[in-house]
Amino acid sequence: MAAYTLRRLGSTVVVMLLVGIFVFALLHIAPGDPAAIIAGDNATPAEIASIRQQLGLADPLSVQFVRWFWHLLHGNFGISIFSDTPVITLIGQRLPATLSLTVLTIAFAVIVAVAAGVLAAWRAGGVLDGSLMGFAALGFSTPVFVVGYFLIYFFSIRLRWLPVQGYVPLSHGLWPWLSHLILPTVALGLAYVALIARITRASMLEVLAEDYIRTARAKGASTEAILFRHALKNAGVPIVTVIGIGVALLVSGVVVTETVFNIPGIGRLAVDAITNRDYPIIQGVMVIFSGAYVIINLLVDLTYTLIDPRVRY
Amino acid sequence: MTLSRRTILKNGAAGALAAATPGLRRAHAASNTKIMNAVMQGDLRSFDPIWTTANISAYYGAMVYDTLFATDANFQPQPQMVGKWGLSEDKRTYTFALRDGLLWHDGTPVTAADCVASIRRWAVRNSGGQMMMEYVTDLSTKDDKTFVLALKQPFGLTVPAFAATSTPDCFMMPKKVAETDPFQQITSHIGSGPFTFNEKETRPGSRYVFDRFTKYVPRSEPPSGFAGGKIVKLDQVVWQNITDDQTALAALESGEIDFFELPPLDLLPQLQSNPDIKVRVLDQSGNCGMMRLNWLHPPFNNVKARQAMLYLTNQADILKATFGNPEYYHEIDSIFGYQTPMANSANSTWFKSAPDPAKAKQLFKESGYSGEKVIVLQATDFDFMNNSAQLIAGWLKEIGVNAELAASTWGGVITRRAVMAPDDKGGWDIFITYGSGYDWNNPITMVALSCNGRKGWFGWPESAEYEALRRQWALVSTLAERQAIAQKMQTIAWNVVPQVMLGQWVSPAAMRSNVHGVIGMPDIIPFWNVTKT
Repeated sequence: MAAYTLRRLGSTVVVMLLVGIFVFALLHIAPGDPAAIIAGDNATPAEIASIRQQLGLADPLSVQFVRWFWHLLHGNFGISIFSDTPVITLIGQRLPATLSLTVLTIAFAVIVAVAAGVLAAWRAGGVLDGSLMGFAALGFSTPVFVVGYFLIYFFSIRLRWLPVQGYVPLSHGLWPWLSHLILPTVALGLAYVALIARITRASMLEVLAEDYIRTARAKGASTEAILFRHALKNAGVPIVTVIGIGVALLVSGVVVTETVFNIPGIGRLAVDAITNRDYPIIQGVMVIFSGAYVIINLLVDLTYTLIDPRVRY
Repeated sequence: MTLSRRTILKNGAAGALAAATPGLRRAHAASNTKIMNAVMQGDLRSFDPIWTTANISAYYGAMVYDTLFATDANFQPQPQMVGKWGLSEDKRTYTFALRDGLLWHDGTPVTAADCVASIRRWAVRNSGGQMMMEYVTDLSTKDDKTFVLALKQPFGLTVPAFAATSTPDCFMMPKKVAETDPFQQITSHIGSGPFTFNEKETRPGSRYVFDRFTKYVPRSEPPSGFAGGKIVKLDQVVWQNITDDQTALAALESGEIDFFELPPLDLLPQLQSNPDIKVRVLDQSGNCGMMRLNWLHPPFNNVKARQAMLYLTNQADILKATFGNPEYYHEIDSIFGYQTPMANSANSTWFKSAPDPAKAKQLFKESGYSGEKVIVLQATDFDFMNNSAQLIAGWLKEIGVNAELAASTWGGVITRRAVMAPDDKGGWDIFITYGSGYDWNNPITMVALSCNGRKGWFGWPESAEYEALRRQWALVSTLAERQAIAQKMQTIAWNVVPQVMLGQWVSPAAMRSNVHGVIGMPDIIPFWNVTKT
């Protein structure tokens, strides 16, 4: 398994570099000129050209690419065109907010969804099953921003229980940190709760019809033991797979959620950089996102070995 | 009485909720009257207000830097950093002496040498400064606090240019900083303005923090516009970069922010119905929209086709499509904007009959238009540009012009508008933008009011006669003289049509009702004089 893990980690570097090259090419093909944005609407073409020269954007694309790639190989993601700050510093400033949001969202989604899926499977065809799956369908089909605005209106403006927006680092205290993340977590997590709950239910229904479950019942095992000890563990592989897919898909949800709740995370950083055509930031964020995506997939694959002893690498 | 598990759970949950709720409420009711949280017009992308003409960088400049002169509430320049100043009898030599007590944020005194270096850097990037420097024979220090500016001939715009708020503004910086190449961004935040920039608490793209500069010595006069005493009554101002309007609105309603510069007009009724919020138009000059026509290629290289656009455009429809409420917009007939001192009605007969599609069609025919494509750049991420482009393309099609929308983000538009090539090689024919309302008063600093061909602004209109008048406008001394020249310039402009005006609108700002003293002026929102009760 160690060799497999090392091989996969090696492929992560290759994927990050390929994504970097692809993003570089795409950005420079797409219309947009950071020099013109920096110069402002009142600038003349000559002034814009001077800024472009200063930023090195007037160099041939091949020169720009080699420069960027050489810096990347040395672990240098470049410097933001607009704020003149190293990209890695900007990403570092934004990482805690995004990590907080994603970790809380995954925890919330997994805990709620697995419990709901198991319960729905246990009471399949009943009122509880119908209600949970109806809620899941609603959660899956409602866009994140709609849920977000609703939560803000109800819990922040009407009840004034939780803040509308912003992020407070964990170092400022557990409650200030958590209070700013509850609504974004729920808004972002709802779709994943729905997705994971439906897969859990389907997988559990399949397992609950197996002979060994009937045997366990015949032996007098309690409902809790049957559901969680015998059935859930055996239904685990598809659930872990969908959790892995969900985590990867979180990237797009994070962008919207960070915008709606004004969380200064990497998603916002990427969107603002795209609007401004701040090439070094976009390239840096995309390379890091691609690396995270590959590593998440690796972790999912490795988790299979813990759930199912038959899986070997 | 029996105590069931269900009862315990139910009562326990209710009790926990009741206990937690006051704490939660308290957490969000807290409000520091010495800290102002504001959502401004956009993200502060650059900290160099000379390097960029972006308005938000000028806002930052007004917080951190000071100016030699400042515009008062009557739009007259008044001394700000300057104490005593004088002009020689032949009107060719200015002498400026700095007032006492001016300090940089690092505690060192402001000197005349700092100001000379700052003027030189600013003059490279500001069109008024560029013109002024053509006449300057000497700009040098006399002593630590005095400097002299000598001219070949009188240049009436000298002091108004130092006070103007058309970007880039003439902000004073330490000599070492001001000696940076004007086309290279400075990295220092050391100014002598009423606020210091708090780099430690600032998070680029998220929040920008300004602290009161405790050693700032304000002028003794009461505040008037940007002039007079800049008395800071807050300890800290935080610009929160909330990009989502709905979220910013909710944050204002909940009291998490105190000031929202540009709430969307369609959400104003919601704000106006909230007793905790007040809505005020701070900048009565607002913004003026324009349609730039590409003079280099058919059909708008023909004056008749350009004149046709004056008759085709229905300003009322354009304004209504984006701003809805007529309380906030006006149609305009002047190239100098709406109700500015230079605005006039010379040669604007087209305004009385527009829209007149039949006349526009006739003029296109007279221009020899033969069905070539007319590319209208459509910036889909700005409502005004997006809506206007669609309307204009529609009107052109109605009179038989082969109009085609080229949709992209604003970033795409500003790249393409710089292309001088014809349409089939990536060029364009029409793009839409707008400029700050009061800036239209000054044909030197407002680049859209130049007609200097390929050296000038996008669209590249050319008129030597107009340009001669524009230069003369900068040289004369009195308002009456400038107004007379403005009339002549407009007469030429509406004959040759460098652009078509698309109306003027104002954008009300929203703030919590406990916020007082926000100064209403064009171009900049200052935070001195502001209190929170």
